[in-house]
Amino acid sequence: MSTRNGPCERRGGSESSGLAARLRDVTKRFGPVTALEGVSFDLVPGEIHGLLGENGAGKTTLARVLGGLLTPDEGRVEIGGCEVALRSARDARALGVAMVHQHFSLVPRFSGLENIALFNGGAWTKRGMAAPGYRERVEARARELKLEVELDLPVEGLGVGARQRIEILKALMSETSVLLLDEPTAVLAPREVDGLFAVLKEVARAGTGIVLVAHKLDEVLAAADRVTVLRRGGWVLTREAASVSAGELAEAMVGGAVGGHLARGAAGGQRPTVDRGRTAMDERRAATPAADQLVGTADPAPVASLRGVTTIRDGEPALRHVNAAVKRGEILGIAGVDGNGQRELARVLARIRTPDEGDATLPAEVGWIPQDRAEEGLVNGFTISENVAFALHGKDSCRKGPWLDWAGIEETAAELVREMDVRATSSTATAANLSGGNQQKVVTGREFLRSADLLVAESPTRGLDVKATVAVRSRIAALARHGDHPPGVVLISADLDEILELSDRIAVMVRGRLIPVPRDAHNPRDIGELMLGARVRPDENADGHAGETRNTVRGPEGSTPGARSAGGGPP
Amino acid sequence: MSTTTLRTRPPLTPALTAATALLATLAVAAALLALGGYSPGDAFAALFRGAFGSWDRFVSFTLVRATPLLLTGLAVAFAFRARVWNIGAEGQLHAGALAGVAVAVALPGTPGLILIPATLLAAAAAGALWASVPAAMKTGMGVGEVITTLLMNFVALFMAQFLVQGPLRESRGVFNQTDEIPAAAHLPDLIPGTRLHLGFLIGVLIAVALWLYLTRTPGGFRLRAVGASPRAAEVSGRFRAKPVVWLAFLTSGAIAGLAGGVQIAGITHRMYENLSPGWGYTAIAVALLARLNPLALVVTAIVFGALSAGGGAMQRDAGVPEVWVRGIEALVILAVLTVDRSWQALADRGSRG
Amino acid sequence: MGDIGALSSFLVSAVGLAVPLVLAALGETVSERAGVINIGLEGSVIWGALGGALGALAAGPYAGLAAGALAGGMAALLFAVFAVWLNTNQIITGTAVTIGSLGFTGAVFQSRFGVTGLALELPTVPAWEVPLLSRIPALGPAFFDQAVTVYLAYALVPVLGWFLFRSRWGLVLRAVGESPDAAHASGVPVARTRMLAVVFAGLMAGVAGAHLSLVHTGTFAENMSAGKGFIAIAVVVLGRWSPKGVVAAALFFGGAEALQFALQAVDADLPYPLFLALPYVLSLAALAGWFGRARAPEGLALPWPR
Repeated sequence: MSTRNGPCERRGGSESSGLAARLRDVTKRFGPVTALEGVSFDLVPGEIHGLLGENGAGKTTLARVLGGLLTPDEGRVEIGGCEVALRSARDARALGVAMVHQHFSLVPRFSGLENIALFNGGAWTKRGMAAPGYRERVEARARELKLEVELDLPVEGLGVGARQRIEILKALMSETSVLLLDEPTAVLAPREVDGLFAVLKEVARAGTGIVLVAHKLDEVLAAADRVTVLRRGGWVLTREAASVSAGELAEAMVGGAVGGHLARGAAGGQRPTVDRGRTAMDERRAATPAADQLVGTADPAPVASLRGVTTIRDGEPALRHVNAAVKRGEILGIAGVDGNGQRELARVLARIRTPDEGDATLPAEVGWIPQDRAEEGLVNGFTISENVAFALHGKDSCRKGPWLDWAGIEETAAELVREMDVRATSSTATAANLSGGNQQKVVTGREFLRSADLLVAESPTRGLDVKATVAVRSRIAALARHGDHPPGVVLISADLDEILELSDRIAVMVRGRLIPVPRDAHNPRDIGELMLGARVRPDENADGHAGETRNTVRGPEGSTPGARSAGGGPP
Repeated sequence: MSTTTLRTRPPLTPALTAATALLATLAVAAALLALGGYSPGDAFAALFRGAFGSWDRFVSFTLVRATPLLLTGLAVAFAFRARVWNIGAEGQLHAGALAGVAVAVALPGTPGLILIPATLLAAAAAGALWASVPAAMKTGMGVGEVITTLLMNFVALFMAQFLVQGPLRESRGVFNQTDEIPAAAHLPDLIPGTRLHLGFLIGVLIAVALWLYLTRTPGGFRLRAVGASPRAAEVSGRFRAKPVVWLAFLTSGAIAGLAGGVQIAGITHRMYENLSPGWGYTAIAVALLARLNPLALVVTAIVFGALSAGGGAMQRDAGVPEVWVRGIEALVILAVLTVDRSWQALADRGSRG
Repeated sequence: MGDIGALSSFLVSAVGLAVPLVLAALGETVSERAGVINIGLEGSVIWGALGGALGALAAGPYAGLAAGALAGGMAALLFAVFAVWLNTNQIITGTAVTIGSLGFTGAVFQSRFGVTGLALELPTVPAWEVPLLSRIPALGPAFFDQAVTVYLAYALVPVLGWFLFRSRWGLVLRAVGESPDAAHASGVPVARTRMLAVVFAGLMAGVAGAHLSLVHTGTFAENMSAGKGFIAIAVVVLGRWSPKGVVAAALFFGGAEALQFALQAVDADLPYPLFLALPYVLSLAALAGWFGRARAPEGLALPWPR
């Protein structure tokens, strides 16, 4: 290993600088994109250091530089007071730096113990032999950290929380001076988040410096001692968590004006609209049979309704007696923590899945903006037109006899690019060459072309930067309010701001049930409580880690309406 | 952004890739020949004369040898387009040849107008049947087709051995081969006075049909989409990937089976052990050099047909053993892969701008 | 006695036919456990046979074995440079290596020995008789009066079993095959591990090839690998990616082939090609889960990165 040399041969920890880790003027570029520009950062032993920023701000890049997964183009990296050149995760590991990734890096068919051993190869074996007592050491360490872990089953069968605990234990098996966690809360239910933070505090107390990468303000404020904010690859501020407000951090993250716009765009406020005349896109839409049937009718009936819909997945109910209805021109917001049945609901609405019980009355074609646009919404190697053809290739308007009408499709795609304001990097752009925001605009426009009746948007702005988020949200709002026969929109999102900003009516999805939220409870605090399972004790509530809930005054009693149907119209 | 450029990729790239790869192959082959003590110039000249030296060399040798490569190449390319890694064309070809011979021999006295289609259809059906086993294992049990199609090749080879030694053995009982198929089942000559038979035209027609299907029809679009991303196909395309995968397997198998049927009906007129010198494997090189484009495949099949036809002349006139041709085939594949990679790397660097 | 004699000669033949399969398949097991399927194994086998022949002529049979291993390893290295380093499609690359190897070994052979019809006579690797054990009726001659390559195969089974499932390196190697991303995140050099695994498989296939020319036949002929490399891939499947299973599967393939020869000698009318097809059919059945699920490593044949 080339990293241990000279006076740093023996890693003493903090004798020279007193810091667990330090970056000095680090720059990292990917091709022409600068992910980090002259960023400095330090980590004190025993602190939890929150690293905040919008998606694309460079926080993951910074963590990966520290973790040895990326080599900086410029600048210095110091670990334990010694300048190092990390060439791999293994190098970093040898210096006591461990990283827990956003997407778990466990081998699915290995047991927890095997995974831990894999990561700690040197510690596990002597001359390649399994060291006796290794298992006991793992168990002892788990007890020390108060981590409940399953060591013997293949991890592919474990839940996300259980896998994350193995991931953390594996990182902390050997002496660790720096622990990097990349968005560790993204996959967890709120209760599990609390458990995770308790573990992290325990770890920090033992002297490990922890970098907590996140984009949720409230979580970082709840757990961190210090906070650093990055924006567009640059350093913005570093402050004691106790001396900084959520508002200051939000402003630092999004840079003022843009964030203000986001905050103001709540439901009922002025919505950005897209000014458009009657275009080829409309013509095409009007030509579809589904749209034809409804032309000219006032249409008081819901465009889609679910009655008592239950689905079974792997022997467990994924949706339980879901009632819902949405009308033209309205946005039904469905809030919830990931993994409570939203995916299944989207599949039912999109007609990919038929309910095992209950009735679903749905339009013939349903637009669906899937959560995972890179894997499901688009084919990366296809051009924009080909990705548009994906949705439309079955429609008569895109065919000439048995043939696909490529000229027509290309015209439609060009129209969509204009309408949705897609910025393509080059004229032959494949989806892979588009930015996340532009990809999402393509998907949104395409799904609207697929169906003018019902549009299901599943976390449509996840992973987008602020500007793209504003753009996509305003497009969705515009679609829902545009024209004589706008579609009904079902917006499924874990992002409360998004739900509150866009929705006319709101329901919360918890463990497969859909719970309607009355209009007077349309605030983050009440909805947040419902999302957590509707059974929040007042004391937990008081120090609630959901930062924005502090602003509201409503008590928990008023926020749990009976299991009334979310169907019907707006109240 | 002009409307036409939304879909089309840079038109020259595939042709340029192929051309660059061929040039690289030529260079490496020349170096190796020189290393082996041969004159590359003489060898290439002899090879070229053997393949294109006269109308008859070109038609009766190059094009005739290109025919099974064209058909198996199309089979491979079609499957690969759907990311179905069918490396079982060799086995499907044998299955097709066996079925074709069996049907033709069993129906003596039938007029050619019926017997020829029956023979070819039986061959295609047998090829599809052979491909259906890996298809079922992939779609039903999630077993990757790479290993299964490979295993099925060996089963087909031994099945062929068994049949030509036993049940289908010629009535004279001298050699391990079948009886000759009735003359009515022989494919008519495409160009009178040469050995070129109808099979080549069938191959070209199938190439055109596949090209139209892949580029111009909803079904072909779905096939490419499933190849690119099965999950996106389900969610965004709203169609199930399985039927498309089945279609890819069965069509690919049928075309490879047809290759066997065409070979016995057009050239050998009977089935024997080791009918194919590995066309099903060379087909991968043919398809790859054509960038999986059916129309381009007509050209690359002729290139490989020429290699095969010119090999004998190379040995005779330049003293270079014919086996060099196989080595050159391998170089072509490696050159395509290399050129492909390099361009991809260049494109990656360029597109970030 | 006649029965014992027949059994003994059958076993000798079966073991002889199985050993090259065992050697090549053990190597391929390691390679596939690291996530690389090398269809170019056939190429390594034929290069091993030719390398063995040339080495033996130059410096004796043991030098031949070493040369064979080296030649097989070189072919695998070529494959690895493309499939691992350049990340090209493993199937296509492997096919190219096999086609090219069959061609170029023929070319080298012809330029060295000409296109004579005469069979090449090679110095063969002598058999080592294990005292006592070789006297066991029927089994002794088959298992304990054999060339060094056979004992190498014996030794490798427990060694590789330990290596794959008990050692730290095996854990790392299997992680690379199951989930290269996770392995990478754990600090494992994925590409280097795969390179080494592939080259090891090539060395073993080379020894298998040298066994064909220097032990089994004492000569070299073009295409003499006769699909042994492909069969080895089937053996790995039937053996469910474990050394013990591979040995059993290889003996089964070898046994089927030996039975075919035996039956051919006795009665020409028996459908012996069907015996040869049987192991392949059973391999397919194993994949289909007829006798317990055989799961290939999750990352098999997938390029990495991505």
